[in-house]
Amino acid sequence: MNMCNSVPIPTRPSRRAFLRGLGVTLALPWLESLPRACGAAQPAAPPCRMLLISNNLGVLPQPFFPRQTGGDYELSPYLSELAELRDDFTVFSGLSHPDVAGGHSTENCFLTGARGPTRSGFRNSISLDQFAAEALGPLTRFRTLNLGVNIDKANRSLSWTRNGILLPAEDSASALFQRMFVQNDGAGLRRQLRRLEERGSILDTLLDDARRFGRSLGADDNRRLDQYLTSVREIEQRLDAARVWETRPKPVTNQAAPVDIPDKKLFFEKFDLMLSMAQLALESDSTRIVTLMVDAFATPIFKLHENQNTTDGYHNLSHHGQAADKVQQLEDADRQQMTLLRQLLRNLADKREGERRLLDHTMVLYGSNMGDSNTHDNTNLPILLAGGGFTHGQHLAFHRENNTPLANLYLSMLHRLGVETDVFASSDGTLSGLSVTPV
Amino acid sequence: MTVSRILRTLVLYTACVISCGAGVADDFAIPPPVRELIQNTCVKCHNADTAEGGFDVARLSFELTDRASRRRWILIHDRIQRGEMPPNSDDLAPQRRAAVVNSLGSAIHNADLADVVQHGRGPMRRLNRDEYQQNLRDVLALPTLDIRDILPEDREQHLFNKTTETLDISRVQLTAYLEAAEAALLQAIASGIAPPATQKFRAVGRKLFQETSTFGNRQAMFFSRDSAALDNKQLDAAADDPGIELALFRSAHWPYYGYPRDFVAPLPGEYRVRFSARAVLQLPGFKLTPATAPQPMTFRARKRSGPDVSGDVRATGGLLDIQPQRATYTTGVRLLKTETFEYSLLGLPVPLARNVNNGPPTYRYPPFPKQGQPGVAIDWLEIEGPLSPSTWPPPSHRILFDELPIRASQDANGLPVEVLTDQPQAEARRLLRRFVKRAARRPVTDEALLGFEGLILSRLKQDVPFAEAMISGYQAFLCSRHVLYLREPLAARDHFAIASRLSHLLTNTRPDERLLELAARQQLRDPEILRSETQRLIASPGFDRFVKNFTDYWLNLKHLYRDEPHAGLYPEYRFDAYLVESMERETRTFFRAMVRDNLPASVVVKSDFAYVNDRLATHYRLAVGKQPIHGSAMRKVVLPADSPYGGLLTQAAVLKVTANGSSTSPVIRGAWVMERLLGQPPPPPPESVPAVEPDVRGAKTIRELLARHTQAKSCAECHARFDPVGFGLENYDILGGWRTRYRGLSAGQRITGIDRAGHDFAYGLTSAIDAGGQLPDGRRFDDIHQLKELLVADTRQLARNLLQQFTVYTTGTPVRFSDRREIERLLDTCAANGYRVGDLLQALVHSKIVLGPAGCGEPQSESTSP
Repeated sequence: MNMCNSVPIPTRPSRRAFLRGLGVTLALPWLESLPRACGAAQPAAPPCRMLLISNNLGVLPQPFFPRQTGGDYELSPYLSELAELRDDFTVFSGLSHPDVAGGHSTENCFLTGARGPTRSGFRNSISLDQFAAEALGPLTRFRTLNLGVNIDKANRSLSWTRNGILLPAEDSASALFQRMFVQNDGAGLRRQLRRLEERGSILDTLLDDARRFGRSLGADDNRRLDQYLTSVREIEQRLDAARVWETRPKPVTNQAAPVDIPDKKLFFEKFDLMLSMAQLALESDSTRIVTLMVDAFATPIFKLHENQNTTDGYHNLSHHGQAADKVQQLEDADRQQMTLLRQLLRNLADKREGERRLLDHTMVLYGSNMGDSNTHDNTNLPILLAGGGFTHGQHLAFHRENNTPLANLYLSMLHRLGVETDVFASSDGTLSGLSVTPV
Repeated sequence: MTVSRILRTLVLYTACVISCGAGVADDFAIPPPVRELIQNTCVKCHNADTAEGGFDVARLSFELTDRASRRRWILIHDRIQRGEMPPNSDDLAPQRRAAVVNSLGSAIHNADLADVVQHGRGPMRRLNRDEYQQNLRDVLALPTLDIRDILPEDREQHLFNKTTETLDISRVQLTAYLEAAEAALLQAIASGIAPPATQKFRAVGRKLFQETSTFGNRQAMFFSRDSAALDNKQLDAAADDPGIELALFRSAHWPYYGYPRDFVAPLPGEYRVRFSARAVLQLPGFKLTPATAPQPMTFRARKRSGPDVSGDVRATGGLLDIQPQRATYTTGVRLLKTETFEYSLLGLPVPLARNVNNGPPTYRYPPFPKQGQPGVAIDWLEIEGPLSPSTWPPPSHRILFDELPIRASQDANGLPVEVLTDQPQAEARRLLRRFVKRAARRPVTDEALLGFEGLILSRLKQDVPFAEAMISGYQAFLCSRHVLYLREPLAARDHFAIASRLSHLLTNTRPDERLLELAARQQLRDPEILRSETQRLIASPGFDRFVKNFTDYWLNLKHLYRDEPHAGLYPEYRFDAYLVESMERETRTFFRAMVRDNLPASVVVKSDFAYVNDRLATHYRLAVGKQPIHGSAMRKVVLPADSPYGGLLTQAAVLKVTANGSSTSPVIRGAWVMERLLGQPPPPPPESVPAVEPDVRGAKTIRELLARHTQAKSCAECHARFDPVGFGLENYDILGGWRTRYRGLSAGQRITGIDRAGHDFAYGLTSAIDAGGQLPDGRRFDDIHQLKELLVADTRQLARNLLQQFTVYTTGTPVRFSDRREIERLLDTCAANGYRVGDLLQALVHSKIVLGPAGCGEPQSESTSP
């Protein structure tokens, strides 16, 4: 495919509009793609972005899913939190990943759809964000950002390589801010460039050394070595881009550097902070693809309101067994998360980008690998897609017994990003009923 | 139809056997007793139409060389062996069952063994970040090198972070290894042509504390002379009077700042702290009298940021028990640049700060103790640092550059020193070989070195300064497969892999010189040498890393601090960091003794002794009316016969990590104990079984609640395996304290008071605890004592579990089917002596599981080329 034409690069006038409209003040031409063979041709429309959010314990299904379907549906209790944005999102039912069952083991498959996570010998596959990033290339300083809230970084992630290897999430807002906005000084820059040049030679050496070694190994060892070789090659491939980005000034923001919140109890504050970071990353065009895993499973007893903590850790709460006090706390927590989502969508809708709103150029997926945590059900996943220029305002319902692959939605999103592919994970086509609003 | 179908399938298998042919044909044929069972029984439920449990026998291939197919058959074997299948035991008479299990077991064993012989037991594995850090510490002679956090946390599987299958590597990880290696090398090189100047700081009188008071007013802290508090005027008049003592009576918990006045670390590093102090009691009227017991304390490194802490706070300097007699104490603290350190007294109250009507803060304490409030009085303190190595350039620098002369760097962006040589190429070759010999865990051939040499020479050609070019080569080597990967000892002559296995098992790092020497001499397969080397490592200081790492994962101690006790329900535990810290040390001390003192495996469940300090003695209600237990150090005490403590199972740390800070759950505790301590994890629920939604509305007690859960048969089957053990532990609260009744916030008999941090508390004592139950095999128990007796009756299973955990930890691969006979053999050898933990570890180390197919004690190969 032709990567250069597939991603629209904005014109300068829209850049100024962006500057006026955003809390981010950019001191440099934003969105200059890396100089490439075909870099001269700059189509007019702003780029498309995506933000992929999953809470690994999901939401209570009853108050989430609307009863009616189609465009005429009545907002469910949870969705009524998003009432003002009704025409900016679609809620889906009857979606799931085929063959992805096994309770919490599915959490690492939310964006990969890899089958059989509980089978022994299971290996994950490439996630939606990485698939898109591979296809789009180094258009931004970060091809993707992979964020987490309360996340068990060792064992959980939404983001997985082509070899099915976990890419760890970043859970420090201040570290992200540093990487996105804090400029290396002149000396630091020269040092960094020297390091990158040195790194190129080191990688060459490692590649040769490992290849020689591979000749003496059996099949199992060779698979391990292959991961290593792939990693060396992938770093090498990214060095050129790293060098170019290193010499470019970083965007400037008038936001103060955030302070990390280490206390896992402050679940909503942390979630809110990470959503702001995601927004900042997309607005500043530091990246166009962000994942955010909300690790409810690893969230202990947390603060529900001022002076009120939950009675149990999030996971124990999720197995509520219909006990009223637990259901009530979960509903409370779910609603507060819907409120955070509303705030994010509202921010994206309030910003102009070119002729349209930033939200119209940003797909925001909110969902979970759990259809119902209480019963460890991985079907009928709660899925909501906002923005991105699709025609929204509907409840798109698929068969509740015989679910449609969630990857069909992912395929539609990939096409929206300009990635030309016929299939992603377990997709058997794009998602019917979802269309792009003509501009 | 189904029968014909299965027969058809069997015909197909036979066809396969015929066509696949030579040599292994026998392995492909379903053994007759198994075939008979399938045809007569299994197929009734597990057919194409019903496929119960998502399992259709007819679709199952018996191609045991195929790993996926073998895994299925192992599952089938195990369920038949445990008597779980067929569900109606009448369908399979014991004798027939034995025949099925034997023939199927043999077929699987042979297939798995053939796989091991051909491919090895498990592939090579990457070092995890703890091992990598420790390897680099040892290579570079930098014992406090801190690069672990540059590396992403490693994934876990089978409980440990040493499992090959999940120790993947991605570009993110490899980049992190490159950065960690670079950071380590930059630490290793001399920071200048001379060591950083060591500074001395001495505090007496007023200088011992940042302010003249702290949060909590005088009851928390005052300056005194002749054991009586001074007022501010007296203090101003005698600010530097060496006769003045700083007296402290509270724990370090927000809001608090208690560091010496005017000191911050000018440079990061290790500082020596000496101070003179005594343990005291505060009497009414702010008077001091010598204490009757020592007072434990430590220091906390932190920024000087007032009562609110910015950045991290780390305990440093270890525990010191301050005695009633004045004495001088010396310890070392590690500080970052601009950090200071504060006094941290352990186990003392924390005053509650309140601003009544927005007035000035007032403080609330628990009732003043009758005998006086314990504390510490300090009369002087000295700090010296950062401490430098006794030679310069430091040993770490000499590892990189030997004795080559250095001079101050001319390049502000480069390394801190320049290394001088007139023969850069020759020196590069020499130093690289010298470094690789130290860093690699086996000899590296000259051919393999050429790449790294080429890297350095080409950097030199580009006019990169000598030291920088060398660092590039070192960095590359430290990130190469030579350092990053461990291989199993496949070849009989491969003794270096044995050395690495042993050292990473017992010290979590690279082999030391002696091990490498024995490997070079091909002596590590000698059973006696292997035994004494294992014993040597167990006795070495590095063994503490095994203790920490193994218990962090096996017992999940790394999450010990995860849940804070609910202050409303458990006010006695509010801010009691000393208790949690003590329980951590108890369990690690106990585990260390399990191996070093060669204790029987039964102590996992039950022992007639415990390791306790002052705080745990109170927690476990020991020594009432006997010799009191003083001080922070863990010591072995004999428990009273009726004590519910003794054994890992009922240690506070275990009971804390299995609770959530507010409540205990028999399900969670039970499943945890079954999996980790007893080695009988609940099998994963079959994929096709639809989740059942229990309806627990109206359930009043935990028993009723669980009864609702287990009304459905599919739930009950599994819950019956682990709930009972959990119920047996219900007498232990969220921190392992003994209780006979549950607590509630509103219901029950009211208990009120002021807690150790000055808060009012009120909770209710509710229903009485029933800790009885029935194990899946039908044996009943009424309480923890009886449960322990039942569990300890099968010590072999406790030992088997330990061997299984040690196997994953040592080899990165869980016990394979073909290892099972070997495991039983090892158990046999340890049986006579009562399955002692040290014996188990020795037996495993001497087995083919660890040593590879060549085992030990066999004739040594003459060929020594690596």
